[in-house]
Amino acid sequence: MKSPSILIPRLDTSRKIIHIDMDAFYASVEQRDDPSLRGKPIAVGGGGLRGVVAAASYEARRYGVRSAMPSVTAQRLCPSLIFVRHRFDVYKEVSSQIREIFHEYTDLVEPLSLDEAYLDVTEPKLGPHSATLIAQAIRTKILERTQLTASAGISYCKFLAKVASDINKPDGMKVILPDEALAFLSALPIEKFHGIGKVTASKLQRMGIRTGEHLRELTEIQLVKRFGKAGRHYYRIVRGQDERPVNPNRIRKSIGAERTYSENLRELPIMKEKLAYLTEKVFDYMKKTQNFGRTVTIKMKTPEFQVFTRSRSFNSEVRQLGELRKVVFALLEENISEVGEVRLLGMSISNLEREQEGDGVGIQLLLEFPEEEE
Amino acid sequence: MKFSVSSNDLLKRLQVAGGAISSNPVLPILEDFLFRIENNQLSITATDLETSIITSIEVMADKDGMVAVPAKILLETLKALPQQPITFTVNDDNFGIEITSAYGKYKLAGENGEDFPNIPEADTVDTVTVPSRSLLQGINNTLFATSSDELRPAMTGVYFQVDFNKVILVATDAHKLVKYAFSDVVSEVSTTFIVPKKALNLLKGALPDGEEVTLSFNKANAFFSFANTSMVCRLIDARYPDYNAVIPVDNPNVLSVSRTDFQNSLKRIAIYANKTTNQVILSISDGSLTVSAQDLDFSNEATEQLTCTYDGDPMTIGFNARFLVEMLGILESDEVKIEMSSATRAGILLPTEETEGEEILMLVMPVMLSN
Repeated sequence: MKSPSILIPRLDTSRKIIHIDMDAFYASVEQRDDPSLRGKPIAVGGGGLRGVVAAASYEARRYGVRSAMPSVTAQRLCPSLIFVRHRFDVYKEVSSQIREIFHEYTDLVEPLSLDEAYLDVTEPKLGPHSATLIAQAIRTKILERTQLTASAGISYCKFLAKVASDINKPDGMKVILPDEALAFLSALPIEKFHGIGKVTASKLQRMGIRTGEHLRELTEIQLVKRFGKAGRHYYRIVRGQDERPVNPNRIRKSIGAERTYSENLRELPIMKEKLAYLTEKVFDYMKKTQNFGRTVTIKMKTPEFQVFTRSRSFNSEVRQLGELRKVVFALLEENISEVGEVRLLGMSISNLEREQEGDGVGIQLLLEFPEEEE
Repeated sequence: MKFSVSSNDLLKRLQVAGGAISSNPVLPILEDFLFRIENNQLSITATDLETSIITSIEVMADKDGMVAVPAKILLETLKALPQQPITFTVNDDNFGIEITSAYGKYKLAGENGEDFPNIPEADTVDTVTVPSRSLLQGINNTLFATSSDELRPAMTGVYFQVDFNKVILVATDAHKLVKYAFSDVVSEVSTTFIVPKKALNLLKGALPDGEEVTLSFNKANAFFSFANTSMVCRLIDARYPDYNAVIPVDNPNVLSVSRTDFQNSLKRIAIYANKTTNQVILSISDGSLTVSAQDLDFSNEATEQLTCTYDGDPMTIGFNARFLVEMLGILESDEVKIEMSSATRAGILLPTEETEGEEILMLVMPVMLSN
């Protein structure tokens, strides 16, 4: 018997959190709208030789096709795979339909992407005070209004809700009650822990840690020594401790854009032209939202899928397009010789000023000097 | 070549010049001092290619010549020696240097002085003469407000505006701004240029009291000469922002308060402020100034009340306490005035009594309260 000290004293299990995750979202929308695709292995995105799979239908997943996989690999795994162009406008529309459903039950909705969200239904606006029944009702309404299926996970914290939604996927749900949490986590394979990535999982496996039970044998100090700050997080989640609130106004940590190109880029002037375009898009967004950042990062992916990121931080926010472009170009010029050819380029801004804002924290205003012509 | 000099006198000169040497020089020879002897005058040059200092000292030499001497090892040697005459013997073929003290001999490898970079020569066309004390005061009053933001190079220096018998120095980092003017100046020119922060820091350490400083400049460089030293620095090639445009003109709310009382209060209250914004809140109404701060993350909170004279509508405005404390520390008058219009416009900080021949004005942007 493990001692009961593995339980965190005063662990708050009073909240009711639902994690809703649409099943193979993009692919399902395509199959819904084109009956000829139903029951067939399809992949959204990346038509042709150069692309990447953005989403795969369950039929395709059976062959091992996964999202983010190069289309060429996917086609080899599944010769009958049908590639479909993405239609983001449609996905966005469906996404707002399902968000409307969430908001019928609670305003504590934290969208993670178009097809995924956390809901806090501790005090729901509608329906029974049972998270399980609410989750069921939401899934039914989603099916009625969009003809698409969703899976749900229900528990007292975000982490467990997220893990749970994966258990009976697709078109299923799973409840993890507070009493069941530790037993559930003990049996959970290490690679299923949301937040433990592939690299960390294989490191842990090499240490002989294959399940939550094994992970729980490590002390907090041991975990922090090996994995830094993330180690603390692991220590807590494996004990079912995750107090992160469902945050309806999640603050963006970064703003960025990236593109995979139909042909590898070899020449610096062309790369600069592509990056200038992305930089302008990102800058327009920052300007529109009045949210500028101090750290500029560029991302370069080689034809071999090796990813390089390089960044530079400043003492104050980059507020002018010309300055931003200069930094992006400098980062590219300084690092491209190491990278060589690229199939993807991206740039992003982080350390955003809006990130600093919180309750009672003010914003330092700036003297507004007249804009100079460049 | 051989020369003798007092170890302490030499050390003093080397310490003045040594500030110009970069901690991470781009060329090995920039780790050296250039020693050049002409008629028993040793001139010592150090440079990082942006800023150079040349200073001189009298020595007893057997002939003229030059050599580049590794700075670090020489400075360390002199610091470790008690005051005494020392002798340098330089091998004119391989630039080996031997230093002889009362205790023994120290050998180090010098380099050919001909390889040392050329230092720009001053143009003597346009010159300005200012008392060292005024220049020093000007540097002290403005340097703290410069920016370290390499994206806006102009703001990383101090803007010099020479207008015949008046010099205006301006510094800003877009959060705060200082404008300092002094008029005990002799010049026949009207011009502007931006001097980098590093050069002014060096100048601050090198300026003697009670001397005249001759300032001359061309498009690329500024030259400061005083006593037996001169400094050359590359000017920042950028356009200074139009600072006059950001000085608000209509500021109906005027607060007068004891400078030291206000500064001390801010220092105490700031301990309780949020550590990223250092935000303190001033609530001002007739005769009373309340200074408060809170840090919700730690449930810290503090409030103090000060007496003041206030002319205007009651108002609440947030500021970064660190900026205010720094700025109040620059002023010398017993009482200061803060002129404001609203909680989102710059406040103007002024001394209540001006020193004869000087004018100082500071601006500080508020921290906008989030609720």
